[in-house]
Amino acid sequence: MSDRDGAVPAADLDPAVVARIRELRTLYPLARSAVLPALWAVQDRIGYLPAWSEEVVGRELGLLPADVAAVASFYSMYFGRPVGRHVIQVCQNVSCALRGADDLLDHLRGWLGVDGEGESPDGAFSLEGTVECLGACGGGPMMQVDRYSYESLTPERAEAILTEIRETNPEGPVGG
Amino acid sequence: MADTAPASELVTLEVDGRSVEVAPGSLVWDACERAGVFVPVYCAHKKLEPVAVCRMCLVEVQGMPKLQPACATRVSPGMVVRTATEQVRKFRDSNLEFLLLNHPLDCPVCDRGGECDLQDFTQRYGPGQSRQSITEKVHFNKAVPLSDKIILDQERCILCWRCVRYYEEITGEREIVLQERGVHTLVDTFEHQPLRSEFQGNLPEICPVGALTHAKYRFRARPWDLRRTASICSHCSYGCSVFVDAREDQVARYASSDNPDVDDSWLCDRGRYSFPELNRKDRVLSPEAATAGGRQVVSYQDALGRAAGQLLRVGSDNGGEAIGVIGSDLMTNEEAFLLQWLARDIIGTPHLGHRLLPAPEISPLDFELGIAEIEECDQVVVLGPLPEQLAPVLTLRLFKAGTKRARKILRVEAPFTVAAIRKQVIGEGRVGVVAAESDREAALKLRTALTGAGRRCEVLTLMERVNSRGCQDLGLLPGWLPGYRRAPSPGMELPDILEAAIAGRIKALLVVNPGPDLEADPRLEAALKGAEVTVVVAAFPGVASRNATVLLPGRTIVEKAGTVTNAEGRVQRVRTAVEPKFAFPSDLKILGDLARAMGGELGAQPLAGPVYDLLARAVPAYRGAQAGLRPRWEATA
Repeated sequence: MSDRDGAVPAADLDPAVVARIRELRTLYPLARSAVLPALWAVQDRIGYLPAWSEEVVGRELGLLPADVAAVASFYSMYFGRPVGRHVIQVCQNVSCALRGADDLLDHLRGWLGVDGEGESPDGAFSLEGTVECLGACGGGPMMQVDRYSYESLTPERAEAILTEIRETNPEGPVGG
Repeated sequence: MADTAPASELVTLEVDGRSVEVAPGSLVWDACERAGVFVPVYCAHKKLEPVAVCRMCLVEVQGMPKLQPACATRVSPGMVVRTATEQVRKFRDSNLEFLLLNHPLDCPVCDRGGECDLQDFTQRYGPGQSRQSITEKVHFNKAVPLSDKIILDQERCILCWRCVRYYEEITGEREIVLQERGVHTLVDTFEHQPLRSEFQGNLPEICPVGALTHAKYRFRARPWDLRRTASICSHCSYGCSVFVDAREDQVARYASSDNPDVDDSWLCDRGRYSFPELNRKDRVLSPEAATAGGRQVVSYQDALGRAAGQLLRVGSDNGGEAIGVIGSDLMTNEEAFLLQWLARDIIGTPHLGHRLLPAPEISPLDFELGIAEIEECDQVVVLGPLPEQLAPVLTLRLFKAGTKRARKILRVEAPFTVAAIRKQVIGEGRVGVVAAESDREAALKLRTALTGAGRRCEVLTLMERVNSRGCQDLGLLPGWLPGYRRAPSPGMELPDILEAAIAGRIKALLVVNPGPDLEADPRLEAALKGAEVTVVVAAFPGVASRNATVLLPGRTIVEKAGTVTNAEGRVQRVRTAVEPKFAFPSDLKILGDLARAMGGELGAQPLAGPVYDLLARAVPAYRGAQAGLRPRWEATA
């Protein structure tokens, strides 16, 4: 949470996003229930969640920004800083680890040219280093790229998937 | 819980072979406690709702396939609970190994070392060894300031949620949340914003480990170096129970001590962190007297003789009415009672007081409503922000009444007109009015207006200082004798006494324990200079001590023994937690000795106990109340 910058200022938030958050509020008996979709609405628009966006979501839903930040930081699919065009998350939990997740992650780091975690030099991918369970334990090792899961990976298969994504979706995230 | 339910409704169950009866809805944890069986807990807390996240309290319940959390499992009839089995033993051992997985094991430099549940339970139930090597541990930030009062060590945190739930359930401020997930989870505020709560000091106390620490207590003492004394917080008239933890002759900290009738185990930061004032190095350390050769240190007997002689001389030359007697609401009940007796019966003056704010009208109706009774009121009217400013812990009681008890709390703004407020108070039942004493009149008018039609209305007024109520109860006032009896010929109020001294009509002043507001009043110096004789008993040097013809060293509230009476009229004991740096008698004995030197006979030893017996004879409501009770004034009125 510490490296969040002000790349997108609060004033530039699309009023349609705020309208969407207000609409979401009406869909649930409890305001808290609208936090996840409200955060999606912001992130889909500006690519990540600046700290001010948590204040906006909190204000619109009648929650404290701290409550919103707690939710946003819990889930690995919300980003607290700007990320590359496609986000790769490689599960590191026990089922995937037993099936070679460590080797897969090391291989992808080399292939993408990423040291640890972060953006690839061509800006196409952001590799999120250690991610906890993504709910596909039956198909480990697995990775999630944007909103799609890819299971039973080998280094070769992962390379092929990422190459295809880079070529077919040069502009932005896959899935939705 | 079980004590209040009728026997027929109790649930009988078995804990480690012992049969116990508890109220329905009780937790297995409560049942274990009743059976005298200790169950280790981290996340569970008597004042918080269960969450069952730490897993430390898991026990065997017959018929249930897995271990159950004692802190969150409700009892049922015939339940068989076992806590001393091999399965539980192994589980506790493993759970502690998990909790310690990334713990820094820095007990030798941790403030909590010696009073830490993680340390204690590991000793008692845990593994002697960890399979995690020190070098493999995940590290977090240490010594993160959450505010100027609280410092967080994120490595020591075991994620019990107590601090998060405290902010949710007790203060409602929600300043702390758990962020991130899994092994990376940590306690933090939004964007590292500093905590703003007035009740932060409770955090290190509810933290079961050394994660949250007091900035003011950091590296100050070891628990085993502290001498603990049960007493009363000296900061305001609310009268929260505290433990005064002293290291040698210094107060190291105030710790809360649960009095469900008053503080409900929470302290405000103003009170909790008020102790450094009591550690001030500049003190009046020896008796002094103004002599022909200037100001001199004299013996206690010499000072006493001079004080008595000077006061007697003014009395015989000008009459007792030429003497003004000034106490303060920092005095104990015993001192206040003795001082008003000394003034009225020995010196023979009606001019006595303890506060700059005149009190033309006072009565026990000012505090008919008890603090805990706020929760029993269907509606509570709070007159403006002043009551909560005077006694911050009141805010937590109002929050509890409003949330856990679903009471209606009406915070109304000045002017407090009966007509406007009456419109908002609807229906029958019990109504409480909480006001600052400066709004006493408005509160009592409301009481009259709201009483009737199935409604009962009572008032609680909050006062300025620790014994403001006691000084009124015991008649340290020109217009009132002990026990709310009107003085037949009222003397001057304190500001008038000062003016009279400036004008030369008051020739002598006896000033005992001058409070900060009196010390800050510009009239004090002129009054003391105007009087020929000024006998002062003071703990700290100041205007009063500098202008004394005879000065005697006084004690601070933590150096005294006796009783004080809180805003709701509860009589509570203060005990000597720190010995003063001098060997002179207590303020109470000074007053007794002075009376004797002036020819008065108290008829009792000038000690807290015997003087209390005397004052309870004068004020029957006080009989037996020094055990922490609220006198029943209506019975004696």
